[in-house]
Amino acid sequence: MAAIQATQPPAPSRRISKLGGPQSAWGTAAAYIVGAIIIVVTIVPLLYVILGGFRTTAQINEHPAGLPSPWVWDNYKSILTTRTFWHFLLNSTLIAIIATGLTVILGAMAAFALSRYVFRGRDGLYAFFTIGLMFPLTVAALPLYLQLRRLGLLENLWGVAIPEAAFSLSITVVILRPFMRAIPAELEDAAVVDGSSRLGFFWRVLLPLSAPALTTVAVLAFVTSWNFYILPLLVFNDQIHFTLPLGVATFQSQYSQDTAKVFAFTSLSMLPTLFFFVIAQRRIVGGLTGAVKG
Amino acid sequence: MTSRTKRTTALRSTRSRQLAAISVVAIAALGLTACSSGKKSGAGNTSSPTSNTSSSASQPAAPSSGGGGGSANAACDIPSSPVTLEWWHNANNDPGKSAFQKVADDFHAAHSSVSFKVQPIQNEDIKTKIPIALQGTPPDVFQQWGGGALATQIQSGKIADITDCSSSWIGDLGKSASGWAVDGKQYGIPYDYHVVGFWYRTDLFQQAGIANPPATFDELLTDIQTLKSKNIVPISVGGKDKWPDAFYWENFVLQECPKDTVTKALDAKKMDDPCFIKAGEDLKKLLDAKPFQPGFLGTPAQQGAGSSAGLLANGKAAMELQGDWEMAVMPSLTQDKDFASKVGWFPFPKVDGGQGEPGAALGGGDGFSCSTKAPAACAAFLQYLTSADVESYLVKQNAITIPSNAGAVAAITDPTLKKVQTYLQGVTYNQLYFDQALPTNVGNAVNDAVSNFFAGQGTPADIAAAAGKAASQ
Amino acid sequence: MSSGSRTTVRSGEVLPDLVPSSRGARRLGRSKGRPSWRQRFELSLLLGPAVILFVGFVILPIAVAVYYSFYKWNGFGPLNDVIGLENYRRAFKDSVFVHGIYHNLIIAGLSLFIQLPLSIAIALLINRKMRGRGFLRLVVFAPYVLSAAVTAVTWMLMLQPDGFIDQLFKNAGAGSWRQLWLGDTHIVLYTIFVVATWQYMGFGIVLLLAGLQGIPHELREAAALDGATPWQTTRMVTLPLLGPTIRIWIFLSMIGSLQLFDLPWIMTGGGPAGASTTMATYLIDKGFRSYEFGYGSAVAVILFLICFIFAVLYQRFALRRDTEGSLTRMAG
Repeated sequence: MAAIQATQPPAPSRRISKLGGPQSAWGTAAAYIVGAIIIVVTIVPLLYVILGGFRTTAQINEHPAGLPSPWVWDNYKSILTTRTFWHFLLNSTLIAIIATGLTVILGAMAAFALSRYVFRGRDGLYAFFTIGLMFPLTVAALPLYLQLRRLGLLENLWGVAIPEAAFSLSITVVILRPFMRAIPAELEDAAVVDGSSRLGFFWRVLLPLSAPALTTVAVLAFVTSWNFYILPLLVFNDQIHFTLPLGVATFQSQYSQDTAKVFAFTSLSMLPTLFFFVIAQRRIVGGLTGAVKG
Repeated sequence: MTSRTKRTTALRSTRSRQLAAISVVAIAALGLTACSSGKKSGAGNTSSPTSNTSSSASQPAAPSSGGGGGSANAACDIPSSPVTLEWWHNANNDPGKSAFQKVADDFHAAHSSVSFKVQPIQNEDIKTKIPIALQGTPPDVFQQWGGGALATQIQSGKIADITDCSSSWIGDLGKSASGWAVDGKQYGIPYDYHVVGFWYRTDLFQQAGIANPPATFDELLTDIQTLKSKNIVPISVGGKDKWPDAFYWENFVLQECPKDTVTKALDAKKMDDPCFIKAGEDLKKLLDAKPFQPGFLGTPAQQGAGSSAGLLANGKAAMELQGDWEMAVMPSLTQDKDFASKVGWFPFPKVDGGQGEPGAALGGGDGFSCSTKAPAACAAFLQYLTSADVESYLVKQNAITIPSNAGAVAAITDPTLKKVQTYLQGVTYNQLYFDQALPTNVGNAVNDAVSNFFAGQGTPADIAAAAGKAASQ
Repeated sequence: MSSGSRTTVRSGEVLPDLVPSSRGARRLGRSKGRPSWRQRFELSLLLGPAVILFVGFVILPIAVAVYYSFYKWNGFGPLNDVIGLENYRRAFKDSVFVHGIYHNLIIAGLSLFIQLPLSIAIALLINRKMRGRGFLRLVVFAPYVLSAAVTAVTWMLMLQPDGFIDQLFKNAGAGSWRQLWLGDTHIVLYTIFVVATWQYMGFGIVLLLAGLQGIPHELREAAALDGATPWQTTRMVTLPLLGPTIRIWIFLSMIGSLQLFDLPWIMTGGGPAGASTTMATYLIDKGFRSYEFGYGSAVAVILFLICFIFAVLYQRFALRRDTEGSLTRMAG
């Protein structure tokens, strides 16, 4: 690509692509059509659930593909006025925050050491961390449970948050390490010249520069924790500790017959993640692309 | 200029690779998050109480103050030092939840030294949690369905032998209580019983011109053809959950095999008598009649109006082979408030020439076990729980359907359920569902084999061989 | 990015400044001059907590699972029935498990040959300035943040016979396309693939978009000025530059396909008749639902080894140039 670069000095280019040829106009039209199809295919199932919550089970049974008529608010109202839903929400939030915080902080520290120090066994240690990628937590659920019991972490938010953080470490280190490696050494030189220690460089320069990657891993850890099912299932008995996915499952079996109410509960439990995503998406996607563009 | 451009480009492409790495690694990260869901299926041995009628809350009588009363054994007396019983049960929604809580409160009121920590746990979850808890500190009182699973669980050494403490009153619970005993020792007690039979739509039968429900297998096959000719789905089945499939084969086994053969085969976990293969051939005959709803292999048993129970409740199928809990499941699957008057019940039809014990039935029950931590207080509590008064209260609250204590039977009011109960009282033996009677892994292997057969795979001999094969592994 | 830096960092050797790349690694050569106790202190401060967490809650449970896999154990009694490799032999003799492996491979193949080209095509098409692109990305990504339980339940309801999907086909005049989506042994696996695609493809598209935006505009424009058609430009310039993104996409998609669990587990339980069983559903079915913890552990180890071997081979032969060869290094 350097060769191309050399022979063809770049023109002030945006303009050209905007002018475009006939193909590009067709391309744009096609892009809108494809975009519309994607939106429909993606959104319809979500809408189906959300709107289903505004129907009665009778309506759903009679016309599976119909719209609410009349609109029913009771399903949502009855769920939002129970305390259990808010309990589930609070627990999920607390656990996700703890797990995300742990994995991002510890992961960033480890990735820093693995990317900018030289020491014996460094790559071995990195490979060691990647093992977690190949082993879903479900597989280790039983031994993990026994471990948590030994540590007295059952019926305890930490008992869920800590293992989740541990399993998220793999992906965190795998993402952060190359990112931190790519940050030019000149910056570190400059920091040293300014009298900064390496840890100071880590804290004052590297972490802020890694913000896009940190956001990405944080979002991943958060979503993973938020949606996790089997571990909270094993650790918690008391409904007071339940997380939203456990709540969905419990609710679904309690009201398995009341499809509309299950729809409403399902909608409400996916709203926080969707909402969180709407807020974070500019950062995730923007962070990704922004970082790509350098 | 050129050199500067080059450098920027180089930097960009480096970054882009890393970024790609970030992003794509991220894709899989969520994919890895394995997660399981609460599935309402299981061995079909649970009644899910529903909140249709809330009959006048008759108070259970206060427990007799004599502790584990009637017991000759002093070790069975309620200890005077305070004890807190942790109680896990699967009635995690009303009316069962409140009813059980009330039973615990009343017991505590009469015996102040015994307090409770009641933990209602969703049915599928409790099946995962109990085995794991048995590796550590199990709760003092917990859900128990008896049979082979109980035999497996007692290997943990954490389940109390309450033979002595229950000897004076276990007789009240009928002979089926032996399903909660292993090698003659009582490791749990049932508080209600279940029986499997055909639920059917009287209105659809009428529409098809069928006067009486089928009494024999041949009549059933004829009725299936009649219903099909009227474009009525004859039978609904929840094939996704597997155990409803197994109900058919197990019932055919009870028709084809003498009681001794069945009992011995279940004990030995080996079904090598030819009658087991004959049961499979009967099943083949039924399947060849194609009596089931479209897509029955993927239909759940109890979830939503599209489930097998929902189809029956909405009159979209004429029959379903299910336990008595069906009556508690159906009301919320249909908007038809009047459906109960259109539903009838008949026992599994007789197979001509079968060697099975006349009047044999397939069923089970719900019960509780005690852990070794506080067996005396627990046994006394179970005695109270299964007393005629308390069980009558539970029946009236719709927390249970068919009480284990014969003294509580009078509390049943629904005419169809009365019929089921009368039938259950008259059966010569009520065989525990095979998947419960056998060790769990063997029972699941049988369910899998029958379910495969429903999907057109395997032979009658494969079903019969499944248990032996699983047991030898 | 590739070979040069790898030489620099090989197993801790200090090769100061052999490669004049602007890598962080170069600094480390100099850091040798510092008192090494300080580096040790910093390293243990930085790495210690993560290593403790990882070993305690990931490695140890996995090791215990490996240990269990040599026993016949139902999870209750004493752990004293050593049967060596018998659990492993049994797994490969069980046709349900072997079919489960096939199903994983089919899903992996479908991802590779359908999902990937589709994702790339869509990403290329919408990688342009267009109204509502932010919204499109948001929507495409949204299914990804839902828990698999929610996705599975939603689709189960829509796919039931005469349900929403069937009604759609009927209303569109394609009633004959209706299928027993979850009840037909020949179709169910593909149904699950479609649902998995719904949930996971969006993220892939967003990532490919990110990768595309990392490719300098100048290159495409240069090619266009040289008279290349858009298709030629895409084929000769864009796709090769997107290579690293695609190769890692493949890697993770394959690992994900091999571990596919939650959707089939909730939607079909692996049925009917094992037609949608995957290695992971088989594992949970045996390990937890049938209380065969020893056997279940052996299946877990097999699943892990298959992923591991794939990862090592893929990283050695395909990813070598893109990443820093962590697994390659480990394997030798």
